[in-house]
Amino acid sequence: MKKNEPNWLMVLRTVMPLGLSYIPIGLACGVLLHAAGFNHLLTGLISVMVFSGGAQFLIASMLTINAPMTTIILMMFFLELRYALLGSSLSRYLKGQPLPFILGFAFSMNDENYAVNYLKFATDKHWKPKQALLVEHYSLLFWTVSNIIGSLIGSALTIDLKVVDFALTALFIYMAIMQTKSRLIILVATLSGVLTIFFLVLMKSTLGLVVATLIASLCGYFIERHLVEHKPESHLLYKIHDPTRPLDDK
Amino acid sequence: MQSVSSMSSIEHFWLVIFCAIVAFIPRFFPLLFFTKRAIPEWFNEWMRFVPVSLFTALVVKSVFIDSKYHIMTSGNLGMIISAILVGFVAYRTRSMTLSVVIGLVSVMIFVLLFHI
Repeated sequence: MKKNEPNWLMVLRTVMPLGLSYIPIGLACGVLLHAAGFNHLLTGLISVMVFSGGAQFLIASMLTINAPMTTIILMMFFLELRYALLGSSLSRYLKGQPLPFILGFAFSMNDENYAVNYLKFATDKHWKPKQALLVEHYSLLFWTVSNIIGSLIGSALTIDLKVVDFALTALFIYMAIMQTKSRLIILVATLSGVLTIFFLVLMKSTLGLVVATLIASLCGYFIERHLVEHKPESHLLYKIHDPTRPLDDK
Repeated sequence: MQSVSSMSSIEHFWLVIFCAIVAFIPRFFPLLFFTKRAIPEWFNEWMRFVPVSLFTALVVKSVFIDSKYHIMTSGNLGMIISAILVGFVAYRTRSMTLSVVIGLVSVMIFVLLFHI
């Protein structure tokens, strides 16, 4: 870690991998919104106001099939419900912040910058709420500019969505691996994966994500509580070795 | 691409506003509630399992579930292999940049070149 690096640069370096993966996805999203009839200004507005890749892709595809506005808004509501979980799990790091800060923070929070911030808060005790907010604003900037450029180039660009979308998948895989600190976490993640398939197919809505996450995390909590109280030597509580650190490091 | 939507720009504007409100409510109120009150210890312990469950759920959704909420039975082999590769790279290197770049290159090769 460089000592004299200014704060804005340090935060920018933290957010860079996310910012770069936002470029192709934002371009694709802008192209789709343009095709769905959004003008450049509205594309910029939705990128700032909604700021969610999944939501914007959904809106674009719903508009192209001429879905009524109420249907789109209702689907958005279920799609965005998972943010309640993100906010709850970050809240302990943002305690005592004034209302305007919480307002601003909530406004620009999404899956990806939440992932970056959660990891920083969990691993770096010097990580400040202000820096977390800056992470959100940098990612918002990358996202909005990419969306507007996508909207401007419009049809001149052909994008394979499956490939572009994988940038975020890779980001989430990385985040999940970083969170895997004990064997119990592997069990919880596996359970979450199985439940996700089950509930998504059953509910035919992204609400399945919320249900799977809730059940898997609650199972993790109860298993851990049970083990710590009754079987502290359980193999499930074993730590996972970090290959970038020497073995005796705690 | 031709514009296919029948909505006007004004309707689009209201759509954006309503979507923004709907997106803001679940982001704001839980965060406000839990930053203003004392958080019980059990809640914090539970919340520690939320990120990994959520990230896994998002990954599983994009690799195994298609846009109509059916299990993908073909066309996702390249993504499965790439996902395993990314997991390995992330575990060994702990580098976000490397994980994303290798994942993208890998999925490009599999999907665009080999069509799997």
